[in-house]
Amino acid sequence: METHAIQVQDLHKDYGEVYAVKGVDFNVYAGETFSLLGPNGAGKTTVISMIACLLEPTKGEAWVMGHSVRKEPMGVKRAMGVVPQEIALYEDLSAQENLNFWGKMYGLRGQVLKERVEGVLELVALTDRRDGRVGKFSGGMKRRLNIGIALLHQPDVIIMDEPTVGIDPQSRRNILDRVKLLNRQGATVFYTTHYMEEAQELSDHIAIMDHGEIIAYGTHEELVQIVGQLDRITLTINADSAQVVDQWRAVDGVSQVVAEDGTLELLVDDSNLVLPRLFEVATGAGLRITSVEIQEPNLETVFLHLTGRALRD
Amino acid sequence: MKLLDIGLKDLVRSIRSAFFWMFGFGIPLLMVLIFYFAFGGLSSSDEGVSLPTTPVAVVNLDRPVPEFDDVSAGRMLADLLSMDGFDQLLDVTSYDRAKDARQAVDRQEAAVAVIIPPDFTATVFGSSGQTALELYQDPTLTIGPGVVEGIINQFLNAFVGSKIAVDVATEALSARGLAIEPGQLEAIADQYAEWASSTGGDLQPSQTPHLEVRLPAEQAAEGDPLADILGAIMAGMMVFYAFFTGAASSMTILQEAEGGTLSRMFTTPTRRSTILGGKFVTVFLTVIFQVVVLIAVSALIFGIQWGDPVPLAVAATSLVLLAASFGIFITSLLQGTQQTGIVYGGVMTVMGMIGMSQVFMMGAGTPPPAMEILPLVVPQGWAVRALDLVMGGGGLGNLLLPVAVMGGLSVILFFVGVFQFRKRFV
Repeated sequence: METHAIQVQDLHKDYGEVYAVKGVDFNVYAGETFSLLGPNGAGKTTVISMIACLLEPTKGEAWVMGHSVRKEPMGVKRAMGVVPQEIALYEDLSAQENLNFWGKMYGLRGQVLKERVEGVLELVALTDRRDGRVGKFSGGMKRRLNIGIALLHQPDVIIMDEPTVGIDPQSRRNILDRVKLLNRQGATVFYTTHYMEEAQELSDHIAIMDHGEIIAYGTHEELVQIVGQLDRITLTINADSAQVVDQWRAVDGVSQVVAEDGTLELLVDDSNLVLPRLFEVATGAGLRITSVEIQEPNLETVFLHLTGRALRD
Repeated sequence: MKLLDIGLKDLVRSIRSAFFWMFGFGIPLLMVLIFYFAFGGLSSSDEGVSLPTTPVAVVNLDRPVPEFDDVSAGRMLADLLSMDGFDQLLDVTSYDRAKDARQAVDRQEAAVAVIIPPDFTATVFGSSGQTALELYQDPTLTIGPGVVEGIINQFLNAFVGSKIAVDVATEALSARGLAIEPGQLEAIADQYAEWASSTGGDLQPSQTPHLEVRLPAEQAAEGDPLADILGAIMAGMMVFYAFFTGAASSMTILQEAEGGTLSRMFTTPTRRSTILGGKFVTVFLTVIFQVVVLIAVSALIFGIQWGDPVPLAVAATSLVLLAASFGIFITSLLQGTQQTGIVYGGVMTVMGMIGMSQVFMMGAGTPPPAMEILPLVVPQGWAVRALDLVMGGGGLGNLLLPVAVMGGLSVILFFVGVFQFRKRFV
């Protein structure tokens, strides 16, 4: 029988007239990797902040390993490790000093603390840089240490808020591999990202969030089914797209056209049949298509289908 | 335990900060060093140190006593101060009345008034009684009055020594049934004076119960006048920068909030009140560290006499509490670190300058009453006043008012600051 590591019920957060989160419900099963996917400003960090007891919900409730965020915040905090979006380290302390300090904040002392610090240094591949000042570390090393701190007390649930933002591809690969490793070792991982491919690669379940609401929830396969067999075509043209957008919307087989930042995103039934018509319309309008990219249905397609906007924004 | 962990972590971070060493220790000590050179500190062991001539007002009220052949000890002292050997150091003016001499000091026409009491000779030559030779000095000056006090102490020592020598000789001869003639007593006294002259600076200040040089408590500091001046400057600098350290340490709360580490601490199983408490411990630990190091280092390098340990500990503790509480208070009013520049660099600098204005006016004569009160309108002024009293020889009794004010301000500022921070973070 599956148990819930995290349960979220009707969670709201508003600041007066401004709603950051509007009635969010989802469950995270123990031992799975769950991703909250959405563009910047969707409300992902606000949800995490409420689950991590950093923000008090305006309404609703959440439980972590059975502990209420409202009534048992200490129980919640003991059960989880939080990897914040921003690197939260002391740059004038060494890696080991950082780990020692944060370990003490998690209540670790003496030999246990020493062993956990050693273990985490090894896990994040910083054993040989243990005495180095964090301020001298590369972005990837800081990200790894930032994650390592959340693992010191061996929590049941690890919450990661966009841990790969702003790092090079190699470090990103390294972090994704470690997330998978942690999950294989039994940890429940709650992961937020605006990178579709990370959610797709890591997650057992994915919730897509936009404007403070969950707009879709399921496995990757279940979510892709939402858009059926629609292909996604990304085009660029050599002039103002406004001239052709309405004409392309009228083409048979085109279900959606979104123009953003000089590119056009289209959802179509069959790209082989639709593409020639798109070229005809563009030529008729005196425009030239300069690039074309066709993608099979994926989470980007789902987001585009549900919101009319591209996920990257 | 976590409270201390947070405090110690921040203390380590402060110690590793070049900014902390620069502003916490470097600049205050550098400022004192500049004054040290300016006052000839380097050449203090060399010959030819030139001191400014000190105007001295002398009032000789001493009445000769017939039984001592109308010899006047007061006249001898007045002559001593006017003798050729001291003319490069002292510019002596005689007054008939003590009141006139004191007024000369008040008008800054004299740096010090030496008021010789009517019973001076009777006490010096007699076998009993007690009197006081008054030194009325400009409180802003230390070197000139210090020189005068040293000369007078030497004079009194010589008298006391001569008297003891004569008394011992008289008793010894009487015990053998021998009479002593007036010429012999004079010879004994002269021999003692010759010997005392040869021992020079080895003579200690007057120990006689009959005679004392009476100074107000705050003027009774012993030791090197240069160290006294440097001490006053050091105290002012220490107060000025301790307040900055209190504010800068409190600023780490804002820095941690902006850098994300405060939020991260809030995700650990640690109470927010403990976390904030730890940050406050940091502020106190850092200021304590600074004050202790500055006192110790300045004593070692410049020979500054900080006064008796117990009053000093009370004044220094009050300074630490006030500087830390003020830092917590003023930082709690700020929204972010971007506001610290104007507040720390502007408001606190002005307050610090006002607080140590009495130090700046040192040597400029007697300040008007308003200028004596001005420093006390800011917390820094009370701290400077407390340290000044301790360095001037004041005891716990003298510290009552400044310590009470500092303690009261500390409590108010601390709780207002804590309330503001709790409102924001807890």
